Amino acid sequence: MAKPKKNVQWARLDNAAKIFPPTSDKNDPKVFRFVCELHENIDAGTLQKALDKTLESFSGYLSVLKHGFFWYYLEATEKRPVVHVEDSEICSPLYDQNEHTLLFDVSYYKKRMNFEIYHVLADGTGALEFMRSLICTYLSIRHKDRLGDNPPSSGYDGSFTEQMADSFQKYYDPKKKKSEKMPRAYSLHGSRLSENRIKVIEGIMPVDRLLALARGCNTTITGLLTAVLMCSLAEGMSVRDKKRPVTISVPVNLRNYFSSESTRNFFGIIYVSYNFGKEPEDIVSVVKSITGQFKIKLTKENLLRDISAHVSMEHNAALRAVPLVIKDFFMRLGYDLNALSVTAALSNMGKITMPKAYVPYIRHFDVMTSIKKLQICMCSFENNMVVSFTDSFVSADVQKRFFRYFTKNGIPVEIVTNPLDERRA
Amino acid sequence: MRHCKNCDADIVGDRKKCPLCHTALSENEPASEEVYPLIPTVYHQFHILFKILLFVSVLIAIAVITVNLIFEESGLWSVFVVGGVLCVWLSLSLAIRKRRNIPKGMLYQVFLISVICVLWDLFTGWNRWSIDYVVPILCASVMISLPLLSWILKWGIENIIVYFCIDVFFGIVPIVFYLTGQLSVPAPSILCVAGSLVSIAALIIFKGESIWAELRRRFYV
Repeated sequence: MAKPKKNVQWARLDNAAKIFPPTSDKNDPKVFRFVCELHENIDAGTLQKALDKTLESFSGYLSVLKHGFFWYYLEATEKRPVVHVEDSEICSPLYDQNEHTLLFDVSYYKKRMNFEIYHVLADGTGALEFMRSLICTYLSIRHKDRLGDNPPSSGYDGSFTEQMADSFQKYYDPKKKKSEKMPRAYSLHGSRLSENRIKVIEGIMPVDRLLALARGCNTTITGLLTAVLMCSLAEGMSVRDKKRPVTISVPVNLRNYFSSESTRNFFGIIYVSYNFGKEPEDIVSVVKSITGQFKIKLTKENLLRDISAHVSMEHNAALRAVPLVIKDFFMRLGYDLNALSVTAALSNMGKITMPKAYVPYIRHFDVMTSIKKLQICMCSFENNMVVSFTDSFVSADVQKRFFRYFTKNGIPVEIVTNPLDERRA
Repeated sequence: MRHCKNCDADIVGDRKKCPLCHTALSENEPASEEVYPLIPTVYHQFHILFKILLFVSVLIAIAVITVNLIFEESGLWSVFVVGGVLCVWLSLSLAIRKRRNIPKGMLYQVFLISVICVLWDLFTGWNRWSIDYVVPILCASVMISLPLLSWILKWGIENIIVYFCIDVFFGIVPIVFYLTGQLSVPAPSILCVAGSLVSIAALIIFKGESIWAELRRRFYV
């Protein structure tokens, strides 16, 4: 009998993913994590079963990253993930150029299941589709007696090609380009934790109260939190520091503006900035300025220009024919230069919804990433908004000022952190 | 759950201090469960061994140069000792960096050791031992051991094929030395080239399609 012909599937990286491999290192592994906290302890066997089943509809995630002569590419692999107890640092590197490992990892600890993924494979929204599907499958196996034989699915139904589509190429318009030069921004400094460790400080707050507070300031939750973050940063700045603006980068889910079922990367970044040396320092003025900037920058027209500027580089024939080793060097350089004009990042994953039958089992969702700079990731589920700060600084002053703003305004905050050596902390 | 009075926030976990402001928390209130595991600090036990090795190398280098300078009339022999130590470290550091991808590491060692030996040969009177023996034997040994190891350790063909192909093509290079009359002992080079040609034929006949696919992936523009 003839053996079936083996044809290795492979895919190019999408436009946004191209920057990640050359700029990933131990300090900044470009890995992010979704957490789902249930009301009960996680069962490893069921989680493994659920993971295997979920992967049947997300087969594109079973890939390894390889180094070609001109570009990186994803190649299908026979490797399969094994769920395990959380035993390593939050968002530790998943890509090692000498070891072709899977680019995601599923672990659990007590009531929490963690899904970590390398940014090359997907952005937050793409990974969330996987996470939702995984939880639905997990709960439907675990609570078969109560949920019945035909439990609801997560509702995601993108086909394989839709999932793996590079939506950047679809909306690219070579006539619309922009390039914006940004001034150098204030950057946080201070002693860092040893061993590239990440400090997570999460604050759990009720969504309705936050929303009321934001409405009172005529802004959105993202607008309010960005402004509070800026003010918290500003309080720690010296007069000299205030000569530079505070700039926050905010990733935008482009699926909200351009139709796409892609589970890979499809996001843009907008920058909002405020100069505390020149403009009034009170929160009301900051909120007003930030809300105005969001309104101007979050338009389809503006985002399209941003997409086109990025994709056009990839379409340049001369640049494409440059060997990857040289591309890597220049991409790193460009990334580092761009990083100089950013103080911190804030990423709002928005409201996470789950089919009604599963809601009673889930306490909240949580999202976080590892980065050299300070980053806020947040998401809400039912009435729980989880705001997670990640950074590698020893000091937690920004976080303290940030959360105190909310407690002073009467919003209850529950603080969760990862245990670090208390003698140093 | 414990509560920090200064921050007015509830603190999850068994903490003695508020993680935000380091105020001592009242331990009368019951602690809640930690939601993150404590990840112990990794103790790098191999680091100290390397530090000692490195220090010994530096000691040897300095001692040799010192002795050489004192007895200047004996010639510049210390250059060779220091060069030798440097070469060992080059090869060793490459082996460590590529320890997770052994096929790649083997290929890199072929290139590195070949270059080092040719340079040594050049600067010690060009006796041609490097191109007579070292280059063909290195190439041939990797050509034989890669498929063997891959078969024994079940590495999978897709993980070695690129490195094997490059090694096989490198294995043809000795023919240039032969044709230009550089060799004093031609047998190892001729055997190496013959082995390469056999490997190329085998690759094309048995694995032509997967090599072509691999090349298309690796070289897409």
